[in-house]
Amino acid sequence: MSLSAINGNKPSSAMTAAAARMDRIGRLKQAVQTAKPGICAERALIWTAYFRDRRNRGKPRAIQAAEALCEVLAHKTVRIYPDELIVGNFVSRRVGGAIYPELHGVAMLREIETFPARDVNPLQVTPEDIAALSNITRFWMPRMLAFKTYRAPWRKMRFLKEQFAPSHYTLNELGGIAHIVPGYARLIATGTDGIIADARTARRQYAPGSENRAFLDAVITMAEGLARFGERYADEAAALARTEKDEARKAELELIARTCRHVPRHGARTFIEALQSATFAQIAINLESLDNGVSPGRMDQFLFPRYERDLARGEIDRERAKEYLSAFSIKMCEIIPVFSETATRMHGGLMSGQAVTIGGTDRDGRDATNELSHIFLEIADELRMRQPNFHARIHPGAPQAYLDRINTNLCGGANSPALYNDEVIVPALQGIGYTLEDARDYAVCGCVEPVVPGKTFGSTDAALFNLPVVLELALNRGRRFGARRRTGARTPALARMRAMEDVKAAFETQLAFQIDRLVRDLKAVELAHRKYHPTPLSSMLLEGCIDSATCSTAGGARYNGSGVQCVGPSDTGDSLYAIEQAVFRDRRLTLPALADMLAHNIPDDGMLAYLRGLGKFGNDEAAVDRYTLYAVQCFADRLAAHRNTRGGPYTTGLYSMTTHYYFGSLTGALPNGRRKGACFSSGIAPGNGMDRKGPTALFNSINRFDFTRLRNGINLNARFDRHTLRGGTGQATFASLLKTYFRRGGMQIQTNVLDPAVLIEARDNPDLHPNLLVRISGYSAYFNDLTPEMKDEIIRRSHHLAA
Amino acid sequence: MTAGTEDAAIVDIQRFSLHDGPGIRTTIFFKGCALRCAWCQNPESLRIKPEMAFYSERCRNTMRCAAVCPEDAIIEEPDHRIDFSKCTACGLCAEACDHDAIRLIGTHLDEETLVAEILKDRDFFIDSGGGVTLSGGEPMMQAAYLKRLLPRLKAHGLHIVMQTGGLFNWAHMEPLLPYLDLIYFDLKHMDSEAHKRLTGAGNEQILDNFSRIVKSGVRVEARMPVVPGLNDDAENIRATARFLGSQGHWALHCLAYHNLGEAKIPRIAPILAPLGMPSLDLSALHDMARRFKEEGIDVIICD
Repeated sequence: MSLSAINGNKPSSAMTAAAARMDRIGRLKQAVQTAKPGICAERALIWTAYFRDRRNRGKPRAIQAAEALCEVLAHKTVRIYPDELIVGNFVSRRVGGAIYPELHGVAMLREIETFPARDVNPLQVTPEDIAALSNITRFWMPRMLAFKTYRAPWRKMRFLKEQFAPSHYTLNELGGIAHIVPGYARLIATGTDGIIADARTARRQYAPGSENRAFLDAVITMAEGLARFGERYADEAAALARTEKDEARKAELELIARTCRHVPRHGARTFIEALQSATFAQIAINLESLDNGVSPGRMDQFLFPRYERDLARGEIDRERAKEYLSAFSIKMCEIIPVFSETATRMHGGLMSGQAVTIGGTDRDGRDATNELSHIFLEIADELRMRQPNFHARIHPGAPQAYLDRINTNLCGGANSPALYNDEVIVPALQGIGYTLEDARDYAVCGCVEPVVPGKTFGSTDAALFNLPVVLELALNRGRRFGARRRTGARTPALARMRAMEDVKAAFETQLAFQIDRLVRDLKAVELAHRKYHPTPLSSMLLEGCIDSATCSTAGGARYNGSGVQCVGPSDTGDSLYAIEQAVFRDRRLTLPALADMLAHNIPDDGMLAYLRGLGKFGNDEAAVDRYTLYAVQCFADRLAAHRNTRGGPYTTGLYSMTTHYYFGSLTGALPNGRRKGACFSSGIAPGNGMDRKGPTALFNSINRFDFTRLRNGINLNARFDRHTLRGGTGQATFASLLKTYFRRGGMQIQTNVLDPAVLIEARDNPDLHPNLLVRISGYSAYFNDLTPEMKDEIIRRSHHLAA
Repeated sequence: MTAGTEDAAIVDIQRFSLHDGPGIRTTIFFKGCALRCAWCQNPESLRIKPEMAFYSERCRNTMRCAAVCPEDAIIEEPDHRIDFSKCTACGLCAEACDHDAIRLIGTHLDEETLVAEILKDRDFFIDSGGGVTLSGGEPMMQAAYLKRLLPRLKAHGLHIVMQTGGLFNWAHMEPLLPYLDLIYFDLKHMDSEAHKRLTGAGNEQILDNFSRIVKSGVRVEARMPVVPGLNDDAENIRATARFLGSQGHWALHCLAYHNLGEAKIPRIAPILAPLGMPSLDLSALHDMARRFKEEGIDVIICD
């Protein structure tokens, strides 16, 4: 006998509806989490067929790009899965990734047979797909971006060799640019029809045959292709509805059909249409260029007007809106990046960087937090899935209920959202030419990078730079230890360096040399993108491109820029401090002896302990911290001296994805007592376990940075022991700690509230915790998707704050 | 750091301390204590003078310590390195050791330096309702220093907590009272004979000081380290409850005995004999709480 029968009354219909919703979200989540990730060949094969077709060869590049993507959208498999409310499949598998042979694809294709069996991030691939994809490798080899970046053969070879196994810097832009927060507000408002109308108007100003006109034609083609992509789902839903036996599901499918018949072609009339419209564009953009960092942005803002209207009309209620947003969020986990083994080591965790930003202010500076912000926070807590990454903006006028809800998420171990300080980020953006109104509208893109939705073409993850290797070069006259070939500048012999100033001068020379080299390579990549890989779809959702009839890859967007990440800053700073102390103060050894010792990987344990025992960044000691600040300042200054080919600045970021592990594995011993091959510190953080004085001291050290120079964002990953934060007082203390960090000018923070015992258990018995979510670097990943070394690193770090 | 007579002897400064009073705090562990409690968890803080500690598990036998020792006080035994009869705690061996196996316990800090260190976290204190906690050792052993320090801390608006074992001359406490926001006061045993046996001193002055603090109006919270078999008997519980009641005090913090301090004993010159008991588990503490409740006293459990 059921409980309700005993009580003599039936459960209310509202309760059953709520339970059904929970079940649906639970089922959708389970379907996605249990699906084995795999590779989908469709995009690569359709793309290849288009470019192999002789009829397409003479067309302008922009037209080719639009037509090829339209072909993909018109012919890829369309699926509507059971229980779905928001539709659109990224690839033919429930969870999978596409291959972009024209970009970074060839590197993947070379390894494709190993994907199903590899240890880290294994990916399913059918034998048929392996055969089909193997057939296109030869076609793309000479056509891929890296191959076309330089024309001169010796430069081409040097560049390819370096970038297939990068040790000094890695150019992510070689794999595609992406990394935008598209103007979904625009798409929702007018649909593709509005975009086509704008492009038609602009088109009249340009002569037939001109590049500008070709770009606008490409936009028109592309917009039409996107509209038709939606209509394919309308057809599919209508067909399913005809055979559906379950009346409730039939009605849902009919609603889906009506929705997809209307959007994205037309302006959205309802909350559901708005969400569906953005979802189609999100999928299509992920298939245009690299599937990375395509970020929906301020969803609580652009969806709110229609939510409010539907609510007032009684067409939707809060729970139903939450159900749709949950379904959308789950869908964001359906795409994963397909990376080669090398790329996986740099960007581990199957991360596609689709960031949703909530809270903050409107363009006039008024608090913009709304009911949808709260719904997203609840979703972040309840779903705890890899994607999307939730980022919460914090400003002095943020409502207490919003802050409280965030704190509940964080103390409860949701490890989401990450927090961003408007008071630091808005002025930082103004400093590179953003208007105050635009800066106030920023959203997080990819990992941690602030951009303005629908206006910035930021290439925020253009490259990552190995800073400690610069020190290695400075200590060996421009050569790596043990290398014959000089890869740096020729700096003085160590015997001639008499003071710390000489070491710093050599460091600065080597740094300038490497940055200039990076920028030269990056500019070549930028020009290759502009020439060979225009992106009409991304561009039509970026303000400025249609007006100027210029693709975003050619500088058409309102704001431009390129982000370069400085990896290993505290390893470098601590090493410089160690040189000052060991060589010039304690006189424990001479500079040549130090270099010799490093070349031999610090064989003496006593010396290793001595070096490790010296002061380290992150303990609120100004004399120590200043070297890390110095190293970053040198980096930012040199980088800022350049401008990219799209007319934007190069900006510095301090986040590392998982390259602190990758670069670390390739870098020799360092004077801070880090042995050869060990991982660097993550993002802006101190070395592992080196912040010995707790979070307040750590925050004070971090806040010594001039964040207005770190405009591409920082990642401070602070780990807390769950035990510390238990109970009401623990939570209040935690809230206060973060609040004070921000009030003192902190830029960003994400927290991992972890129980070390659970992590160790998860490492030893992966099956016990298949979906344990941890923060990596501005994004979340499942613990099981990490390499063994990264798992150990997370465990180590969870311990050191546990005291 | 040169040891000025004006300076405080300090074992450690712990930032982001969450369990020594409300909010986020910086706890100062002063060196030197008048009591010798058998269960002491910080034996290295008992002597007021600086002393050397040897961490045998860290030692790699490089004997750099022997090379620098001016007193010839380094011996080569498996678990011992220091001949404490000769050691003057000059600290040269600690500086020479790369492995951090010999450490100098006790640095002298002037008020200026200490205030600056504390103020680093001022913003965190203010927002969280935290502040500074004076702990030890026995902070009242350095009352003259506190008399200079506390007004300076108060001038910055800091909330100040003191943890004391209660054995001090009242005249030393009186001038500090205006600056103290909260005092954690240990009551270890009600029977003076037993108190003397367990801590090396009778409890008359301690109980008297407690009464005086209660009368002064400064907020005081009584604390009792619960050590199985030594002070958890029915008689002592009743007597403690009676005493608290007589002071108009109806709450008590009970701290569980931990044997963590025992590992520290062999590192320093002989000062205490290990008790050789396991730590008290939480259920025993809950049992204490129940028994105190029967006597009308509310127990706050600190595990």
